[in-house]
Amino acid sequence: MASVSFEQVTRQFPGTDQPALDHLDLVVGDGEFVVLVGPSGCGKTTSLRMLAGLETVDSGLIRIGDRDVTNVDPKDRDVAMVFQNYALYPHMSVAQNMGFALKIAKTPKAEIRERVLAAAKMLDLQPYLDRKPKDLSGGQRQRVAMGRAIVRRPQVFLMDEPLSNLDAKLRVQTRNEIAALQRRLGTTTVYVTHDQVEAMTMGDRVAVLRDGVLQQFAPPRELYRNPGNVFVAGFIGSPAMNLFTLPVADSVVLLGDWPIQLPREIAGAASEVVVGVRPEHFELGSLGVEMEVDVVEELGADAYLYGQITDAGKVIDQHVVARADGRHPPEKGSRVRLHPEPGHVHIFRVDGQRIS
Amino acid sequence: MTSIDTSAAPRPWRRRAWAGRLFVAPNLAAVTVFLLFPLGFSLYMSFQQWDVFNPPKFVGLKNFRELFTSDPLFLIAIRNTAIFTLGTVAPTVLISLVVAGVLNQKLKGIGIVRTIVFLPLAISSVVMAVVWQFVFNTDNGLLNIMLGWIGVSPIPWLVDPQWAMFSLCVVSVWRAVPFAAVILLAAMQGVPETVYEAAKIDGAGGIRQFVSITVPLIRGAVTFVVVISIIHAFQAFDMVYVLNGANGGPETATYVLGIMLFQHAFSFLEFGYASALAWVMFAILLVLTVLQLRLSRQRSMEAASGLG
Amino acid sequence: MASVEILFKRSVFRAVLIYTALLAIACFWLFPIAWAVSGSLKSGGEISEPILFPAHPRWSNYTEVFTLMPFWRMFFNTVFYAGCITAGQVFFCSLAGYAFARLQFRGRDTLFVLYLGTLMVPLTVTVIPQFIIMRVLGWTDTPWAMIVPGLFGGAFGTYLMRQFFSTLPTDLEEAATLDGCTPWQIYWRILLPHARPAVAVLAVLTWVGVWNDFLWPLVMIQRNSLATLTLGLVRMRGEYVARWPLIMAMSMLIMLPLVIIYVIAQRSFVRGIAVTGLNG
Repeated sequence: MASVSFEQVTRQFPGTDQPALDHLDLVVGDGEFVVLVGPSGCGKTTSLRMLAGLETVDSGLIRIGDRDVTNVDPKDRDVAMVFQNYALYPHMSVAQNMGFALKIAKTPKAEIRERVLAAAKMLDLQPYLDRKPKDLSGGQRQRVAMGRAIVRRPQVFLMDEPLSNLDAKLRVQTRNEIAALQRRLGTTTVYVTHDQVEAMTMGDRVAVLRDGVLQQFAPPRELYRNPGNVFVAGFIGSPAMNLFTLPVADSVVLLGDWPIQLPREIAGAASEVVVGVRPEHFELGSLGVEMEVDVVEELGADAYLYGQITDAGKVIDQHVVARADGRHPPEKGSRVRLHPEPGHVHIFRVDGQRIS
Repeated sequence: MTSIDTSAAPRPWRRRAWAGRLFVAPNLAAVTVFLLFPLGFSLYMSFQQWDVFNPPKFVGLKNFRELFTSDPLFLIAIRNTAIFTLGTVAPTVLISLVVAGVLNQKLKGIGIVRTIVFLPLAISSVVMAVVWQFVFNTDNGLLNIMLGWIGVSPIPWLVDPQWAMFSLCVVSVWRAVPFAAVILLAAMQGVPETVYEAAKIDGAGGIRQFVSITVPLIRGAVTFVVVISIIHAFQAFDMVYVLNGANGGPETATYVLGIMLFQHAFSFLEFGYASALAWVMFAILLVLTVLQLRLSRQRSMEAASGLG
Repeated sequence: MASVEILFKRSVFRAVLIYTALLAIACFWLFPIAWAVSGSLKSGGEISEPILFPAHPRWSNYTEVFTLMPFWRMFFNTVFYAGCITAGQVFFCSLAGYAFARLQFRGRDTLFVLYLGTLMVPLTVTVIPQFIIMRVLGWTDTPWAMIVPGLFGGAFGTYLMRQFFSTLPTDLEEAATLDGCTPWQIYWRILLPHARPAVAVLAVLTWVGVWNDFLWPLVMIQRNSLATLTLGLVRMRGEYVARWPLIMAMSMLIMLPLVIIYVIAQRSFVRGIAVTGLNG
């Protein structure tokens, strides 16, 4: 059990012109569950592998606890990793897979058996202890991979998209199991995924990465309420936040024909801003910006309206998504007025950074 | 053609079936003429006494009886073949495991070494034997010259009955390892990288990874190599003939079954006796192979139940 | 930082160990050949001198080989036999491999397993009757004996091609069948062009096998005019006893063509082995 910190960690793969990780600064607290999330190529898996010791660090420092492990072999770092493809030893039984690391550490056989059984019980793997990986289902293999990590009682758990090979239903179920397990064991965990839903539901804090640069590191609620830049705003939340790039005129921006007042400090500073409103923060009514509905997605409790904004009656090329009550959603082709809830309008500078 | 199709299967299927039979026909014909028929014929011959010039004479089991009871050379040949097989296969498997393991690294220049090690695959056993004969030469050979540098008197590698078998085994291993290493290396490269990463994190060092992960995972290839090597060593002829001579070396030190067979068939023209010998060899080989396959299957089952 | 040094030492140590092993391995497999090459360039007197490169390399050893032995004749013979058999093997084995992989007929799979079983029959058992057959046909000491037995393909080659064909996707064949192609056309126009790696492996293995074969020429051939290179080498060694430079020169000459082909083809050959599933 220990904290993990990345200090100005950089890594550039030979032959590429952009670094995979650009001066990453991140501190994970002891016992915390941190999720690294971002689109593919953002550097999240690279960071995890560097933490494991499977990838070299070009510059910067990685610490586990107070110890500088930047150049330490994986086996001496006391970390355990769950791989995306599980990487189980094909020729060993489940019990042997889980006990392998302990065997190398010359742990007495009785203790190995005890710890393997305890982990198996935690993961419902007892009936499968003598089976080989090829005789197991995907979900069972995933649990064996987790069991292998748990048995070692390491300081840090590393998980590389462990749910991506499971079907949707199993994914949700396993997600909750992993989160519960981590709470129970209290081990510091670094979890990598490209799925922002996983990130939001599992993490104590979530780090959003893009192109090797950390965008924001905060608890899920904070990311949702106060995204630090346009990328995070558009990445977190499903369906994605509506982002409109609008010119400023007289400290007011016009969304269609609906004016939005800008605070004075911002109004003078820029000629264009990006305005963000989440679909769920539009109220349907008689006030607000008008949209023409193209598609209605009925999901039961909610309905999502996809359409375009109109300006003084004419449809303009601005797409918008809004959430409506699923019981009486508007018809396709109809026009509705959307009123952005005050306090839920995000303003960003054109370069992406948040203003308010 | 307006003939009525009276068969049950639709036309294209029948055409494909006939094409299939036609396509495999040459292969099967060749195998029947040049393998199956000779197999049966040699069994038939083993019960005859025949020297090609005179008509064959049926002698029943006389050849076999003579082989087992009154031919001292047979026992010598069996013993030599056993020693040779063991002395070739065991070192071959061990050395080629290590060689393949070393060649499985991603280092600069490894391609060159791989090319060098696999080179003997392109060289004939005969050429190898001739070349090594030169190396082993008592007066001019490289080995004795090098021994001379450290003050050891020349060893009669090929002339002394004590050394002849050893020299033969050395050449045989030299020849067999590249072949085995190719197969083992190809198998090793099939092991996914992530398994090694998991092992690294579990705390396994280089050697431990090799022993606990690489070797068990290429078990199939290893068995294949062992079986093939044994079959090959058991029937060895080319190399022995060229390296140690047609009579099985100094004082029959390298008189193996292959040489005995050749001798009886083409020197003494005792085709019946030689055929009997050939069938005995076949029988022994069959038993050996079946035993090995059963053993390896049993071992892999033991491993599965956690005992391995 | 101490940890940096330890890591550095460990990886350097490991690299040194591996490079040493590599060097040892390379040496062990090169030195006999190197010694033979150097021997082939020495004169009779220099033979026992432990130098790798003689001061005046006697290239004349090589030319002498040509005068003492009908080298070109034997070279031609070997190329001829190897060429015929390789062509035959490739053609018939790929044809049969295709049939076993893709054409359904009754008993196909049982037949294949039995066919494979014939691989178990050792050469020792069949050599004598094959000799008798050749004798009866009057083919001993003729090119026919060298070519015909191997011409129509063997179980190993068919196995290789079948394994390869069964890994190819069936779309192309299905499209061709719908277009009305006969099985022969499918084989000739579609599958064979796609089978290059497997064909290459088979061709190389067959060629090398015939080139280096010894027992069969030894049994079949008396006349030098029909001899193969390996047979010629052994006969030469018998005739010109202890004339090591000449013997080594001839060995090198036999070895050289194959080595050149091998070095060129090496990369695709190893890939071909993986493709045909030979790795166990």
